[in-house]
Amino acid sequence: MSRGLLVVALLQAAGFRPAAAQATSGSFAQGIRAYQNLDFGRAAATLRRDLAKLTAAGAPASERVEGLVYLGAADLFRGRRDSAVAVFKRLVQLDPRYAPDHLVFPPEVTSVFDSVRALTKTVAIVVPPDTQVAPGAGNFSALVLASSFQTVDVTLRYEDGAPFRSLYAGPIGDSLHVLWDGLDAAGQLPPVSRIVLRVASRAPTGEISTILQVPLDLRIQRPDTADWPAPLPGSALLPERAGGRSAVRALLGGIALSGAVVAIPSVVGGSGGPSGSRVAVAGTIGFAGVLGYLLHRPGRPLPANIRVNQTRREAWQQQVADVTAENVRRRAAVRLAVHAGTPSSIQPRAP
Amino acid sequence: MRRALLLAGLSLAAGTLTAQTLAPAGVLTVGSTRVRSQSGQFSGAVVGGDGTLSFGRLELAFRYVQGKVDSVGATAASAGHDLVEGSVLLGARPLSWLTIATGPHARSYTLTSGTQRWVFWELRARASGAFIGSAARGYVELWRALSADVNVPESFDHAQGGEAGMIIRFARAPLQARVAYRMDHTVLKSALGGTRLETVDGLMVGFGLDWH
Repeated sequence: MSRGLLVVALLQAAGFRPAAAQATSGSFAQGIRAYQNLDFGRAAATLRRDLAKLTAAGAPASERVEGLVYLGAADLFRGRRDSAVAVFKRLVQLDPRYAPDHLVFPPEVTSVFDSVRALTKTVAIVVPPDTQVAPGAGNFSALVLASSFQTVDVTLRYEDGAPFRSLYAGPIGDSLHVLWDGLDAAGQLPPVSRIVLRVASRAPTGEISTILQVPLDLRIQRPDTADWPAPLPGSALLPERAGGRSAVRALLGGIALSGAVVAIPSVVGGSGGPSGSRVAVAGTIGFAGVLGYLLHRPGRPLPANIRVNQTRREAWQQQVADVTAENVRRRAAVRLAVHAGTPSSIQPRAP
Repeated sequence: MRRALLLAGLSLAAGTLTAQTLAPAGVLTVGSTRVRSQSGQFSGAVVGGDGTLSFGRLELAFRYVQGKVDSVGATAASAGHDLVEGSVLLGARPLSWLTIATGPHARSYTLTSGTQRWVFWELRARASGAFIGSAARGYVELWRALSADVNVPESFDHAQGGEAGMIIRFARAPLQARVAYRMDHTVLKSALGGTRLETVDGLMVGFGLDWH
């Protein structure tokens, strides 16, 4: 019996059941019980079977890690170190930040796991499910968690894999916050509705070891712009040139009124006779009519109307300027809605 | 039914009255007057004033002039004859351009034979309208005497007259200027079957205030 097995036996002889604290319930209860009874062969078979079921059922990584760590420990105590390393590697790929409980697993197990974790270059991506980004101003944030020190390339790519924008390329120790301002490499809004956030982990040799990517659904939210004010109708503007009507009215009115003055004696029946007063009044009124015709001649500019129209045009232009400013403000208020999908690995490996 | 109609009419009139304001106008006038009759021909200058007080479609008009007239061809040393004339007319405007008015019109002038006093009760109709923009309005007025009281030997037969002129209102101030020509013609019948004609005409020039 190896030293590890001895430790396990001693712990169990002391009635210590720390494994129960980590997890004894759920899908792996039978395998874990066999492990605790030092029946490692049965434990490995049972755990492998249960893991296969969960994997086939598409269970999340958090439900599988417990079985994997017991399976790796069981394989290790069965003397199958390569198999244990493979299981631990799979476990690190599923959860780069996972660490076995040192109170449950002996140092033989944890040291092997730690060495596997140090050699396995993989990451996990944590992104908020839904984010509103103000393009160019607000930032979309993603947290990259590394299994160990490594070099990563964090990029945004089109669905077909073509590069969209590079976000980070360099070393990562424990974790890394990457930010995206919602624009493409040219500083424009994304022309597509779906891109992927891809993190490629590089081995110390420089080769890409694992690739993890998260699909991002993009939706550009543009507020409606305000309508332009209706153009000024012709009826809203006063004529800026005099027509001929008032001129003719002045001339004809003067003539008619002069005629009325001259005709008064014959209308009232008085003795007509020459009258300088009558001629003077008729002449004055006739002269006023001619003067009125000249003052109201057709085509004469009408300053009062021109001023009123100018005021109305300026008011309309002010409305246009206000709407333009409002639309500029609304266009600047464009938001990019980002919905993150489920992370996936391009090179999944079964344990 | 009749009471309801009366109430409706009163309420309508009250609504109209409350919506109106008084609009006074007063004009100082000078002019020349010529009196022609079978007893002679006189002319001279007169001065006076006239005014109106408008309230909605109602109008109260008054006029007063006085002056001296001399016989045509008389020397400057000869004494003139006093002429005084006035009228008070109450009118209404059934249409915006038409005014119907009635009231007394009195005239008195002193001749060598004594002072003649003429009192006519007139019915007047005036048509007016702007003809040079809104600044110049022309008007034509005709009147006819409904009755008369004259202290002359002849009996009154009929009298009528007319006036035509132009009123200029200034745009930037409540001022008006006026020029007009008027003529009154009276026919008297003598007991012997003869006819006496009296014609008074003249030029009037005025300048005054107008709050229309």
